[in-house]
Formats: sequence, C-alpha cells, structure tokens
Amino acid sequence: MAQFSLYRPWAGASWGGPLDQLRQEMDAVLNRFGGETTPSSSWRGVFPAVNLYEVADAYVLMAELPGIDNEDIQVSLERSTVTIEGERKIDYANQEGVSLHRRERQVGSFRRAFELPALIDADKVEAVHQNGVLMLRLPKSPQDQPRQISVQAS
Amino acid sequence: MAETNALQAREKQELQGETTRPGPVFRPEVDILEREDGYVIYADLPGVDDKSIDVRLDQGALTLDAQLATLPETSWNPLHAEYRLGSYHREFRISEGIDASGVSARMHNGVLELHLPKSAQHRPRAIPVQAG
Repeated sequence: MAQFSLYRPWAGASWGGPLDQLRQEMDAVLNRFGGETTPSSSWRGVFPAVNLYEVADAYVLMAELPGIDNEDIQVSLERSTVTIEGERKIDYANQEGVSLHRRERQVGSFRRAFELPALIDADKVEAVHQNGVLMLRLPKSPQDQPRQISVQAS
Repeated sequence: MAETNALQAREKQELQGETTRPGPVFRPEVDILEREDGYVIYADLPGVDDKSIDVRLDQGALTLDAQLATLPETSWNPLHAEYRLGSYHREFRISEGIDASGVSARMHNGVLELHLPKSAQHRPRAIPVQAG
C-alpha cells in the first residue's frame, strides 16, 4: 500500500490567524479587478497548481489543465480527500518532417491529492473541464454543515 | 506517492509595463514547430475560449492577446491560491515567407493552435530531373 502524503495547505496553524486574515482582506481590496488572488507561499510547485474557494455549502477547486483531454483526467474522492491525476500528451514532437523551434510546454503524468477541510458528499460532486480549466464543485457533507438549533421554551 | 512528478507546475511569467489593462498579464508557454508547408504555434491559454482571444498579424508581427472567458464568482471565498488569474499577451516576429492570407487559428481545451502556411515560393520543391 502506497504511503500517501497529503497536502493540506489550508489546514494547520498558519491558516486563519489574524495576519492571514489581514492579508486576505488586503488581497480582497487589491484584487477587486480581474479576480486575482495572490499565490500562497506554501505551494511546492507540484502540478497542477490549484485554487480553492469556499461557498456556503461547498468547496470549489480549480486547476489549470490546458491541452488535456477529458479521458486523460481522473478525479476520485475518498471521504474528504480528492485526487486529481492524469497525463498530458503532445503527439507532434516525434512526428516525421517536423522540427521544433521552441519547446516550452511540458508533457507527462501527474497525480495530486488534497484533503479538504470538511467531509464531502461524494454523490453530489460535479466536475467540469472547460477551456483547459478543471472545476470541481465539492459539496460539504450534510453532517459537516452548520445547523440551526432551535431553542424551545420550557 | 500521492504527488508526482513528470510535470512541474511553474509560476506564470508575468509581463511588466506592457499594458494599460488592470490586472496581471502573463506570457503563455508555447511550442513552435516547422513543417514542410508551414509553421504551427501552440500556446497554453487555460481559461480562454475562441471568443476571448485576439490574434493579429501586422507587418511581420504576430500578436496574441487573450482574456479569461469566465472569472470566479465574487461571492466565492478564496481559501488557497497557487496560480494567479489574468490576461495573456505574446508577440512573435514572423519571417517574410508566411502567406498572411492563409493563417488560421483554433482553440481547443485552452490551447491555441495557429497555422502559418509558408508562401508558395518558400516551400521546398522537388525538381524533376530529366534524363539527358
């Protein structure tokens, strides 16, 4: 059984402290144009780079995967851990009668696992791959969502 | 192994001082290859569709400008960001041997594929050899 080393940049002590909160607020002010966010310093350069958002009842995970066909991307989920794996293929490099003047785009396989901050409702996960961007909508499991407890008069 | 390997996620190369548009502008990664009948440029433009890209060929300068077709909704609360969002810009010098009227482009899976055919006099020709 392979040993999983999970990547949880959004968990841990450095997240959510007052300084991070301040940074997020400043980012929000600076990034009102164009929806830009600032890359986190904790990123280790593993492909693919991802952005994670939270909405009321779900997480949204985005990854840039240009030039990869749907059938070459696999997404799996186990409890709160989502795994993205696949392969980027470029077929023209070895063709006959072709000379490459510039080669900047990479090829190869990738696999990356993330543990989300809450349990995910696996049946309701949606994955859309459009314009080379993978978007996963990962609904929080009902048992992890905040509930309103009504207080009854005795 | 949870995380691999063959691919390296690289930070986008940001261009400085070349735009009046708000937000960052990135230099897309490209492959340029030559075939007998022309050149093909592939450019990685994740998030761009055929309507949000502009390709221009003007006096030997090929310019590509692209914007993201969709942006994250403003109500989404960012928890973690590893890549930045912005527009794309890149310029190429094109040799005289290109038939400008025959240039064609298409977008597929966030990749621009640009075909630049060589003009007729720049294509290799087989010269028939006659018996003497």
